[in-house]
Amino acid sequence: MTVLFAELVAATNFSFLRGASHPSDMVAQAIQLGMTGIGIADRNTVAGVVRAHVALKEAREEIGRDIDFKLVAGARLAFVDETPDIIAYPATRYGWGRLTRLLSRGNLRSEKGGCILRFADLLEFLDDLLLIVMPYASPNEERPRRKTVVYDGLEIEDADPGALNEILCTLCDRAVGRIWLGATMPRRGDDARRLVCLAEVAKAAGIPLLATNDALYAGPDDRPVQDVLTCIREGVTLAEAGQKLEANAERHLKSPGEMARLFAACPETIASTQALMDRVSFTLEDLKYEYPHEPVPEGWAPQSWLRHLVETEAHKRHPDGIPRKMRDVLEEELGLIERRNYACYFLTVHDVVKFARDECDPPILCQGRGSAANSLVCYLLGITPVDPIKEKLLFTRFLSEERHEPPDIDVDFEHERREEVMQYVYERYGRHRAGIAATVIHYRSRSAVREVGKVLGLSEDVTSRMTSTVWGSWGDVDEERISETGLDPGNPEIDRLHELVRRILNFPRHLSQHVGGFVLTEDRLDETVPIHNAAMDNRTFIEWDKDDIDALGLMKVDVLALGMLTAIRKSFDLMRLHGLGDRHLDNVPAEDPAVYAMLRKADSIGTFQVESRAQINMLPRLKPREFYDLVIQVALVRPGPIQGEMVHPYLRRRNGEEPIEFPSPDLPHDPDELRDILERTCGVPLFQEQAMKLAIVAAGFTPAEANELRRAMATFRNPGTIHELEEKMVDGMVRRGYKPDFARRCFGQIKGFGEYGFPESHAQAFAHLAYVSSWLKCHHPAVFTCALLNSQPMGFYAPAQLVRDARDHDVEVCEIDINASHWDSTLERSDKGSLALRMGFRQIDGFREEWGKMLLAARTHRLFDSMEALGRRAGLPSRALRLLADADACRSIGLDRREALWNARRMPEGELPLFAAARAAELADEPGVTLPAMPLSEHVATDYQMTRLSLKAHPMAFLRSLFRSESVLSCAEISAGRNGARVKAAGVVLCRQRPGKGNAVFITIEDETGIANALLWARLMNSQRQTVMASRLMVIEGVIQRSREGVVHLMATRIHDRSDELERLTSGCSIQPQPSYSDEIAHPQMPRGNGHPRNVRILPRSRDFH
Amino acid sequence: MRLAAPDTRALQLGLMPGLSLADARARVPELAAIDHDPAGDLALLEWLADGCERYTPMAATDPPQGLILDITGCAHRFPNGETGLASDLARRLERLGLTARLARASTPDAALALAEFGGNEVKALPVAALRVEAETHLALRRAGLKTIGDLATRPRAPLAARFGEALPTLLARLLDEEDTRITPRRAEPAIWTEARFAEPLARSEQAIEVISGLAREAAEAMSRRDVGGRRFEASLFRTDGHVARLAIDTGLPTRDVAMLARLFNERIESLADPLDPGFGYDMVRLAVPLTETLAPEQLQLEGRSMAEVEVAGLIDRLSTRLGKCRIQQLQPNDNHIPEQAAFTLPAQGKPAHIEWPKPEEGDPPLRPLQLFDPPQPITVIAEIPDGPPRRFQWQRASHLIVLYEGPERIAPEWWRRKDGHMAGKGGLTRDYYRVEDAGGRRFWIFRHGLYGTEKASPDWYLHGLFA
Repeated sequence: MTVLFAELVAATNFSFLRGASHPSDMVAQAIQLGMTGIGIADRNTVAGVVRAHVALKEAREEIGRDIDFKLVAGARLAFVDETPDIIAYPATRYGWGRLTRLLSRGNLRSEKGGCILRFADLLEFLDDLLLIVMPYASPNEERPRRKTVVYDGLEIEDADPGALNEILCTLCDRAVGRIWLGATMPRRGDDARRLVCLAEVAKAAGIPLLATNDALYAGPDDRPVQDVLTCIREGVTLAEAGQKLEANAERHLKSPGEMARLFAACPETIASTQALMDRVSFTLEDLKYEYPHEPVPEGWAPQSWLRHLVETEAHKRHPDGIPRKMRDVLEEELGLIERRNYACYFLTVHDVVKFARDECDPPILCQGRGSAANSLVCYLLGITPVDPIKEKLLFTRFLSEERHEPPDIDVDFEHERREEVMQYVYERYGRHRAGIAATVIHYRSRSAVREVGKVLGLSEDVTSRMTSTVWGSWGDVDEERISETGLDPGNPEIDRLHELVRRILNFPRHLSQHVGGFVLTEDRLDETVPIHNAAMDNRTFIEWDKDDIDALGLMKVDVLALGMLTAIRKSFDLMRLHGLGDRHLDNVPAEDPAVYAMLRKADSIGTFQVESRAQINMLPRLKPREFYDLVIQVALVRPGPIQGEMVHPYLRRRNGEEPIEFPSPDLPHDPDELRDILERTCGVPLFQEQAMKLAIVAAGFTPAEANELRRAMATFRNPGTIHELEEKMVDGMVRRGYKPDFARRCFGQIKGFGEYGFPESHAQAFAHLAYVSSWLKCHHPAVFTCALLNSQPMGFYAPAQLVRDARDHDVEVCEIDINASHWDSTLERSDKGSLALRMGFRQIDGFREEWGKMLLAARTHRLFDSMEALGRRAGLPSRALRLLADADACRSIGLDRREALWNARRMPEGELPLFAAARAAELADEPGVTLPAMPLSEHVATDYQMTRLSLKAHPMAFLRSLFRSESVLSCAEISAGRNGARVKAAGVVLCRQRPGKGNAVFITIEDETGIANALLWARLMNSQRQTVMASRLMVIEGVIQRSREGVVHLMATRIHDRSDELERLTSGCSIQPQPSYSDEIAHPQMPRGNGHPRNVRILPRSRDFH
Repeated sequence: MRLAAPDTRALQLGLMPGLSLADARARVPELAAIDHDPAGDLALLEWLADGCERYTPMAATDPPQGLILDITGCAHRFPNGETGLASDLARRLERLGLTARLARASTPDAALALAEFGGNEVKALPVAALRVEAETHLALRRAGLKTIGDLATRPRAPLAARFGEALPTLLARLLDEEDTRITPRRAEPAIWTEARFAEPLARSEQAIEVISGLAREAAEAMSRRDVGGRRFEASLFRTDGHVARLAIDTGLPTRDVAMLARLFNERIESLADPLDPGFGYDMVRLAVPLTETLAPEQLQLEGRSMAEVEVAGLIDRLSTRLGKCRIQQLQPNDNHIPEQAAFTLPAQGKPAHIEWPKPEEGDPPLRPLQLFDPPQPITVIAEIPDGPPRRFQWQRASHLIVLYEGPERIAPEWWRRKDGHMAGKGGLTRDYYRVEDAGGRRFWIFRHGLYGTEKASPDWYLHGLFA
């Protein structure tokens, strides 16, 4: 006889550091074992249930028939008041809302990641919940949040829940027939005896016993992983963990047969699981979702209000009547929006944008992009700057009725002011209706090696050694890597570490907030999903991430931060201040030939999107002449097109070296069908729209199939599916008369988009900012550099490189000075009448903004004439004075760094009250002391230490004679060098990157004459990895390679670490030149969608092709 | 882990102190590393300082690796005076296998600095020789003041105003402008008493009597201060200059004279080479270098604490006689594996509050008090796969099991085994059963290995008998 059993107390690895299996593995194992269902209940969270839900859906699809298997979603409530753990399953949609409200309350009481619940809280939200009371409590200590957000019921009353039988009595009174007592057989020795006791308790309370294994993982082989997680949680090593670990490997999912055998004494406990499951009617599919109705004024329906707004704007732009084309597109879009009921979504985005533009003072720059952003509606609402009619973008391509997917609009705001917008959203909709999506932080090789290593008792330098050679945070820790570090991969300990790391990789570690994706609801959001406190004050987020939200069909508005918008706004402000004109994002002179001429020279440091090393190399090849060239440039130099090998075909065709042809299908198909799609990009698909359209038009895919293709590309989850789709697409194209070879190439190109492709609307939006920033750089280099410096950190380059670039463009740059500088960098009219850039105090490491304010206030009426005056009038602490002196900012009072420091060190802390009254000189005369003059090299070294840049000289200038004697060339000489020459170059390291598949490492070095780009093939890299990664100053041996466009690369063969030479400058104090932000060693890059949201690059990712 | 003290060869290979061990290994794979033992280093340094008392009574340590000898008026006994003394010291240290940098100067600070930074001239030393904080050091260098000479020629008041009042003092000490003295190492113990004799004591028994007398004096001194001694040191100074030192430790602070006398007696009796009075002792000193608070009230009245005191006294006596490590005490150990659930520690010393896990109320003892080591193999008839045992045979006697409880399943410590993290390689799981045979005797037996998955036919063992 088959036993009907479902494990109803199953944790997943979303019970962080407790559960040791992925939700999908738990579901798969339960199906495998022949259970009738599984109940996923993680510790105070429902973060893992959507994944389990998706896994079950996929399993059903895979098996191809309906499996009789039920997923019950709930949570395990762990209390702080010694109430035993209670597993709660909502029986209905209403019950789900109760559970999420309960969890929200607990979460918001606690610091990020915790949940503070008491038995009394449960009693408030008891309705429609089915409860399994476990006979034991798991310890739960959480730190309460000191500064809580406004939310009901956060205050805590002290009440003793009482003993187990009292709790059962209370619950039985309040939730009749919805209570079970969980019984386990953990092989503790006294199991049978305890079961009898529990049965008595249950009988006394009149509730059924329910059999469970309180599972923490799928199979018995997962025990080592669970032990390791326990140790990480408890902060102990395996050797000292003792009884903190489970005694045995029994807490896995057990087959119904085995459970029946274990509970042979009480067979009714097995039947209880079916009884409970039958009571649950709720599934996650029941979460109906409605967008907020707020931005609609009284008396209007959302759709008609949207139409009204759009039409008003259209009339404003075309007072003589809306063009027919526009009217058609508008009708089509509005019709689609109405059918899909998306009006509220557009209105909400409009509302946020309107707030930033109209209600903030000064207004916050913002700009939208995303799949729905290439709509005329968005253009007319002012969300995007891209006119879809002019640019021939079609909204419906990406928002089709067949695709039951929510629209997607991302809005970028100035990065320094985005918080204002976010708080506005919270305020507008309320904490209970607005929340940021979560990002699940996973174990990555670095973190996993570090933490597992600690658990295994390896010392920190062994683990940091292993992670130090991991490129970025994502690289593999494989055997080769390990042996490079001098550790023996055959060593059993290292082998164990390696294996356990592999198993723990991709485990969720904790939840964090998404960069800015807001989920908004009309009803209470906290009745859909629990809300958490974020680490930052006043931020709350929900516990489902992007994928979960997609799976459930929730919509989100992305409120993102973009540093370049800050810099552009600051540039416009500076221009107004200095009488250079009143500019806005939309009135910058278009198609200025000077701007394109500058870009063709690859002179693009500091600009948006076209400033990276790869972009700079591409500019002379692509030779942009008009705006659309920039659009292509932005989209082209991306990992997707590069991996899809589209760059070179495109360049060849563009430069007329290869004919542009559009293969035609057989009749009766339209022979020009490809031309329509690919004409603007010389027959090479560069944008995501083109890729999908290609599949639809040329291969006869339905939009739904094209969408499947898009999804398969994005995740690479299932290689089988991709292969299937490839066959399908190639077959489709061949059937229509295309050559198989051409069809395969098309597919290869599309495949490249998977992770990194750009839709055209993105490229358009970014190209707009690229143009504006290039225009600023071209015509107002001082203004632009000043704004960039004041918006740091952002972009690819560190201040040293930005300042150097400005000076190369004849901008006069002035040193920081106590009598001239402000906190920010500023512009001054020089004697010649041009604008000079004055560095601000913010450049000094460790100097505080408040000190800057104090100094400025004291300077308003009278300049400082001595160190004493500075100290006394500004009331600066001696640390501030020393920093100013050490930054050589006292030249205007006739003191160089050394003298200033000598004087500054004499200043006592604060002013003595008596002397203040008398305003007398506080410091007595003292015998004069002469100090040796500071050599220039030491000045430069100290400049680097204090401000990370020096206007006096480049450190390499002092080493030139040394390197000259080793016949090392300067960077300028390298750039001018002969193709094929064997040379040596030396410089401080600006940036190391390993793009794409990682076959090569790009290294940029800098000396006093300029920069040089070197390329090191990966096979050469491996033998000198340590040198490449650790050097601050390197000598590169290699061969000059000069392309036809004049782009010079040094093909490196050997790298020498000469960082020690930097010490020579100061005899002992070391210089740390700051690499640019694009250096992947100093600033490890997270791959898209996987990293910590705070680290996600300012360069935004594609939104549509994942 | 970082390199603390690379040897000469390692230094030649470019390994510097502070380099991480992994880095060093990467450069020199054959590097042999020994754990840094600061306490051991300090002990060695102190031992060396004691040895240096042959040159001067004024010897002091400057941890971690400095020794300061005040040799004023001590060098005349050596040929070539101070140079002779230095070369004698260098020779002896070399013979011990130690590399020493010796420097002579008129102040201890200057000598230490010269030894550390080399050279003969104090003024040529870098400012680091002042041993000031890193911030001050950097500031001095920023000011262009790089050597002691740079500072010496400049007025002191401005220096003090900028770099702290301590700087001129440190400078003066280096430059021999201020008289500085060292504090010799052998510090005065908290309490000590001594007796000198015009006529040397010729027999050890007499010495014991003297020590008892001294102990009485010391006890009075201690009771005035409300302390008791934890360590007592008797020094018997022989007329020929030899010093015999006897030390005893007690587990609890005490000032019980009779007990002390007994302990000293036992210490003398247990000496490997007996005391040799030679020409007799002319001085006996009793020092109490380690004391702890001991309340004045008498403990006799309270039975329980009295028992504690008596047990402690017994442990002290046995430990003094047999050696510290011979008397051991059981401690619970946080471990699932039964034979590792307890371990022993020397009984003497501060008695830690030991808490043994208690069974839940009403529960029988789950494990026997004593275990067989190794467990006794038995043959068992049991249900498969993991059913309870029905009958077992131990030492040719057969036992029919009438009652059982279990299994208590204890998994092996996979992390102690090679490849233990791999499926099936973690070791064998044990299933423990408490069983009672027809005669009412209770046993603790286990199946070693899970049937089928871990072992084809698991063995059974008897691990203990219940009382």
